[in-house]
Amino acid sequence: MNENDPRTLDCGKTVEELSDYLAAGRSPSDPRIETCPECLNALQGLTRLTQLFQDLITQDVADLPAPSENWFQGIMTNIHREVRAGRSVPLPHPDIRVDLSLTEGAVLALIRSVGDTVPGLLVGASRLDGDVETPGAPVEVSVTASVLWNRSIPDAAHQLRELICVALAAHTALNVISVDITIEDLHGDLPNTVIHKEH
Amino acid sequence: MNAPAHNPDRDRLEGLADAILVGRAVDGDTAAFETIIRRYGPLMRAYTARIVGSMADADDVVQDAFQTAWRRLSELRDPAAVKPWLMRITSRLAFTFLRRKHVDVDLATLEGALPADTQPENVAVRNAQLHALSAALDTLPEDQRRCWLLREIGELSYDDIAEDMKLPTATVRGKLARARSSIYAQMEGWR
Repeated sequence: MNENDPRTLDCGKTVEELSDYLAAGRSPSDPRIETCPECLNALQGLTRLTQLFQDLITQDVADLPAPSENWFQGIMTNIHREVRAGRSVPLPHPDIRVDLSLTEGAVLALIRSVGDTVPGLLVGASRLDGDVETPGAPVEVSVTASVLWNRSIPDAAHQLRELICVALAAHTALNVISVDITIEDLHGDLPNTVIHKEH
Repeated sequence: MNAPAHNPDRDRLEGLADAILVGRAVDGDTAAFETIIRRYGPLMRAYTARIVGSMADADDVVQDAFQTAWRRLSELRDPAAVKPWLMRITSRLAFTFLRRKHVDVDLATLEGALPADTQPENVAVRNAQLHALSAALDTLPEDQRRCWLLREIGELSYDDIAEDMKLPTATVRGKLARARSSIYAQMEGWR
């Protein structure tokens, strides 16, 4: 670098050094930089650059032609082909020659579909811990969920637990010893927020 | 603009946090994954178009990225961090695409897509600034540009960028600093 190189400031600091300093969150504070008008000016410029770049991508997102529905459907079609089956959950049948089972994925889908009927609640992740492939083996169910901000969380969690117990008893032979519910998030618009719906 | 087809399932899922959607998608809920696609697809396309230089190629790359993401979703350690994770997958595929196709990056297509100059003056100045930044970005060597894009759009940490590019963190720090410094120099007229 020479003195005409804009990457070196007149005070001797390089833009690279300042960039590093900025990336470190200006910590530990360097008094030689923080008291130098040239350095401060360059720091401000670098910060603006980051902002400008965010603007650039935001503008790209706004200006680029929207992806076609075909584009979305193309992804979805491929994804539907790769079903997550998981383990095989045996179902009892009076005739021992009949080997009947549900996939673990189907059990999780069952949990989601009954769970989503609880007003103001949507299920997140569900897990079956235990040896689901052996009939009668103890199984612990854990489910995360998101609840509408103004719903009572204990109520919603209670309803969810009941529905899951009933559905699993009705549709599977799993020996469920516990159903653990974690409300992980709240959703919905908080009051007094202006809602803009785009059409 | 294509208005997405009305889908009540999707509408219900739209307001959910990333972590909840990821949890459902890992369990096999394709509707939850579609919500993630609609949430981050536009950003990933814009990002990829900046790398590969053509919208059609960007669409292909991002389709691949979502396919990969669906397959590997259970490997995501922090479901709330799905955005940087998607950006990392996208970036890897975009740069692989570039190397494979030996495509010269030419952003003419993108620039053509910018709105006409029927803008108020301050918007025109802003557009010119953005244009200058876009041009400055194009002059960077590929590895520096990749570091910059991963950092600034992907919001990846230095360590994640290092892991992604198989470089020591100190090298990433150096490349990023050089990228910033060279863009800063080129943007001097616009400061």
